[in-house]
Amino acid sequence: MGTAGPQTAPLLALSGVSRSFDGVRVLDRAAFDLKRGEIHALLGENGAGKSTLMNIVTGVYAPEGGRYLIDGAPAGIRGPKDALKAGIGMVHQHFRLVDRFTVAENVLLASGQLGLFANAGEAARAAMEAGKAVGLAVDPAAIVGELSVAERQRVEILKVLALGARIVILDEPTAVLTDQEAGALLLAIRKIAAQGRAVVMITHKLREVAGHSDRVTIMRAGRTVISGAPVGTLSAGDLGRLMMGEETSPAEAAEAGVIEAAAPITIAKPGEERLIVSALYAGGGQGSVGVSDVGFTLKAGEILGVAGVGGNGQQALAEAIVGLLPVAGGHLTLDGWELGEFSVARRRDLGLRVVPSDRFASALIGELSVADNLALTRVRTGRYRSRLGSWLVGRRRMKREAEQAIEAFAIAGATPARRARLLSGGNAQKLLLARELEESGSGVKLLVAHSPTRGLDVKACAFVHAAIRKAVAGGAACLLISEDVEEVRALASRILVMSAGRMVGELPAGASASQIGALILGQA
Amino acid sequence: MAKLDRVRMAGFLAALPLIGGMTLQRRQAAGPGLAMLSFLGGLAVGIFIGAVTLVAAGVPADDLLDELVVQVFLTSDGLAQTVVLATPLLLAGLSSAVASRIRFWNIGIEGQLWMGAIAAAGVALFHIGPEPLRLPLMMLAACIAGACWIALPLLLKLRLGVSEIVLTLMLSNVAYLIMQHLLFGAWQDPSGSFPISPRFDDAATLPGLGWGDVHAGILIALIAGLALWVLMERTRAGFHANAIGLNPVAARAAGIPVAATVVLFVLLSGALSGLAGGVIVAGTEHRLTQFIGINMTFSGIVIAFLARFNALATIVAALAIAGIYNAGGTLKVFYSVSDGVVVLVEGAVLMCVLIGQFFSAYRIEFARRPATVEDAEGEAA
Amino acid sequence: MELFLTGWLTSLPAFAMPLLLAAVGLILSERAGVLNMGAEGYMAMGAMTGAVVTLTAGNPWIGVGAAILAGAALAGLFAIATVVFRADQILAGLATVALGGGITAVIGRPYLHKTFTGLPRLDPGALADLPLVGGLLFRQDLLAYLGLALVLLLWWGLRATRTGLKLRAVGEDPATADVAGVDVQLYQAGAVLACGALCGLAGAYLSIVSSNVWVEGMVNGRGWIALALVIFARWNPARAILGAVIFGGADAALPRLLALGAQVPTYLLSTLPYLLTILVLVLAALGGRRKDAEPRSLGLAYIRQDRR
Repeated sequence: MGTAGPQTAPLLALSGVSRSFDGVRVLDRAAFDLKRGEIHALLGENGAGKSTLMNIVTGVYAPEGGRYLIDGAPAGIRGPKDALKAGIGMVHQHFRLVDRFTVAENVLLASGQLGLFANAGEAARAAMEAGKAVGLAVDPAAIVGELSVAERQRVEILKVLALGARIVILDEPTAVLTDQEAGALLLAIRKIAAQGRAVVMITHKLREVAGHSDRVTIMRAGRTVISGAPVGTLSAGDLGRLMMGEETSPAEAAEAGVIEAAAPITIAKPGEERLIVSALYAGGGQGSVGVSDVGFTLKAGEILGVAGVGGNGQQALAEAIVGLLPVAGGHLTLDGWELGEFSVARRRDLGLRVVPSDRFASALIGELSVADNLALTRVRTGRYRSRLGSWLVGRRRMKREAEQAIEAFAIAGATPARRARLLSGGNAQKLLLARELEESGSGVKLLVAHSPTRGLDVKACAFVHAAIRKAVAGGAACLLISEDVEEVRALASRILVMSAGRMVGELPAGASASQIGALILGQA
Repeated sequence: MAKLDRVRMAGFLAALPLIGGMTLQRRQAAGPGLAMLSFLGGLAVGIFIGAVTLVAAGVPADDLLDELVVQVFLTSDGLAQTVVLATPLLLAGLSSAVASRIRFWNIGIEGQLWMGAIAAAGVALFHIGPEPLRLPLMMLAACIAGACWIALPLLLKLRLGVSEIVLTLMLSNVAYLIMQHLLFGAWQDPSGSFPISPRFDDAATLPGLGWGDVHAGILIALIAGLALWVLMERTRAGFHANAIGLNPVAARAAGIPVAATVVLFVLLSGALSGLAGGVIVAGTEHRLTQFIGINMTFSGIVIAFLARFNALATIVAALAIAGIYNAGGTLKVFYSVSDGVVVLVEGAVLMCVLIGQFFSAYRIEFARRPATVEDAEGEAA
Repeated sequence: MELFLTGWLTSLPAFAMPLLLAAVGLILSERAGVLNMGAEGYMAMGAMTGAVVTLTAGNPWIGVGAAILAGAALAGLFAIATVVFRADQILAGLATVALGGGITAVIGRPYLHKTFTGLPRLDPGALADLPLVGGLLFRQDLLAYLGLALVLLLWWGLRATRTGLKLRAVGEDPATADVAGVDVQLYQAGAVLACGALCGLAGAYLSIVSSNVWVEGMVNGRGWIALALVIFARWNPARAILGAVIFGGADAALPRLLALGAQVPTYLLSTLPYLLTILVLVLAALGGRRKDAEPRSLGLAYIRQDRR
């Protein structure tokens, strides 16, 4: 820890910290330190152990060995409560806010002060003042569930500031924001650090490291490959190599955004019109955003990207097309068939396939075997009928097909009988792709992919993207809904921008991230 | 009473440090051995608590084994009586297992059973249909009545999302009062003042099998068990039901006919409960009485749960629970122990097995803390 | 007619209070995220213990205290199963009901049908002779007033105190509450125990106030009706008062209608409270606002170390 100033011990210092989950070591003797007034970037891919390390700092997980010092003395943190007391505040990627409470109530809950009466007014006032000082303001009487994502994030930061946190940890703070919103946030973060607090910014975006932080710690596969290096001493290329490992291919680097995204590959000449959406209304109400007056056409051999900040009607759009949400108005046609009254099953029979945003919530069944998950959509069709009768299910064919799929899609760790829940995120996604795209070329007419690479590592991302491209090359059309602007830019041949349930603009392939951001914010 | 309370409070206080001190991790996968071990462990503790309760209630400890095992399973007469008791219990357990498969909480098995019994009794008392067809008609009527009685909660759940738990339960109370209305009114046996119906004709009673009071109802129940096993484990509908029970959203998105499968399984559950009522009146009571079906809901749930919702295992679990019922009847007569003890033992067993699952579902960790463990540094270096 | 109304109103609290106390107990538990189906069992424990202790100790107040403890004790067992050992809350609730029924049957057997003197009713003289509402307002036992005060206190406490805020946060979003430093398990266990205590009190009301005797099965589904009341009340103790008056009112009217010699079939008329419960659940669902009020993580076990 030679980087600490000579006169004082670092504000916080960890060394040799490990952690396993169910025998898998996700953190391996990691080291990390923090100084007052700095912005410290914690860089690494998904699954590199960044969040786990910070969850140990905040007492959510218990470490397995190692040393944890605050102000040079053992931290003695046994749970989130102790971390709060020590002045450590975290803004989680998934906000820790009670949606039904007001902003003031949320701040009060987090304040952790003793006392019988809930004086929300006073707590709110303190938080609002702290917010004003760094340029973050929000209405204390608003119900959190009705706020935008950027506003909720502001509440999270206010909570931390109201606690008088000395250490502010932000987990991927810009992931859910548009370019413009992110810029405002980064300014506020600088002001927070200028108040003498230390800020940790967990990220996998290299430009945030270069332009907006003082030091950087890089993690890979649970280890800290570099701990607390001044940002100026490393080039973007260095950062990328350290984050991804030496053996990274240029293509994978491109996927992670390390290298500027390659121009979208033109796959096939767009063919006949496949999906026609006109004046579509669906969903909405009860705190969720529905689809309002949406219309577009999607041709065979085309990937149509839908960009936008999550929670702006993307879910409703996907569900309406798939058949999980009734169409309240307008029309949906697939290859000339009006889908409005069709069941999910009939839509699937027409060649509709889906990769939803949360695979274990709405596509795979964790408690069922790999073979059962692969057969899930097809048992209905009588494909696995037993010789004894069509209503009986024959397991032998199911098993054989599962073995083939595991082989074809290189699903690591899978056997036909193994439960799907035991697969890693990337392999579970491969399992899902194996089911949905198996008959590519003939069966698949339309693929609806919603955030298909969320939470996956670089290699799995590349695999998913390749699978989508292959399906489209085989004549399918793909509606790619994603919050990841880079993903949309890398894959889509046209880009629609969605905001508050509407399509607010269309951009050609090659549009820049800031063009897309401007449309999302309604500044175009 | 006071003694019991003290024991329970002490148990709670002993568990309190666990709340604060331990950290839990959900196991990714429990091996079958561990799952079985925690299941059997829970079962053993539950049975032990039941035995202690019986001794506390005045049954001599020396007689326990004799009453609970030998008399109900190992003598011909005792086993015959156990099988008689197991007949409706098996059907109730199957009813619960079928509904549980698609995560529908049928807490109204009793209600469906009573409506089934009323329907079967109606066919018998009013001599509906030709005599050779009388029994099949009775069983059919019982099934239909049970299915009808669960149809309203099913409809309200599917259409409005009303919780089926309270609905099925409330309808049980309604069914009981309807039965009483009949037994104290139009259907009362005119030859006496008891709230019982007249005795059925021979054509309306299930034939005995020549072994104690065992009647053809057990064959009906066993056939139902086998058929349900095939349905749940081997058919398309069973495959779909399994998926729906584990994740209804994913099942729907996969194009599985969710509503149709749910309707099929829930109506089947109601029908099985109704059939249990029909089998009791036609096989055991030979008339409608108000003492049938008591506690059948909870027993059915316990049986299905102990059988892990597997139709074949339900047969074994139903026999075991029937043994407790059989012993409970004896204990009531000879030791003046309330027959509430049967429910108590069932409750204790269920609770202990539920708690036992914890040990296969989670791993308890007493994590080492970095502030106090300096030796980890050596490991790191 | 006036006599009928006066009598009906005067007897209303005897029918409404048990439902109200149990429903408010369940609201506490469910607001902390624990789906508690054991009410029927806790009430049985309270009713039996209240009667047995009153019979042996001779003082109904001691009986009330013992009933509260007995309800809480059974709830403690449920809390161990669900909060500590994360058992399925519905199945554990059913097991709790069975245990309550079994324990009361076994222990209460020697005391069955033995009557005793319960809590005295107030008699403030002239006030109680007010037309119609005099009996309702002034000729009740002390427990009715205390119970109502307790319900109002809990209603206020849930809204306006930090403890209430934390309790609600645990039921809405335990992960958030945990990060905010709230001991989720402690709050859940506390809420379940409070629920057991209130249900025990509700049971004591049945045996010590309303009927002065212990009869097996005297709770008679009231614990389940209270569960439905919680949904009707949209998890708000103040609305539970309204619900308890409606249900208690229907319950109280039944014996009076029969006593009037109304030509109605007794048993079919007795189905009314159950049918009313179903109707209320349907109306609540048609209102479509249930999901707005139901605690978001109701019925889900919370494990801090689950990886998200």
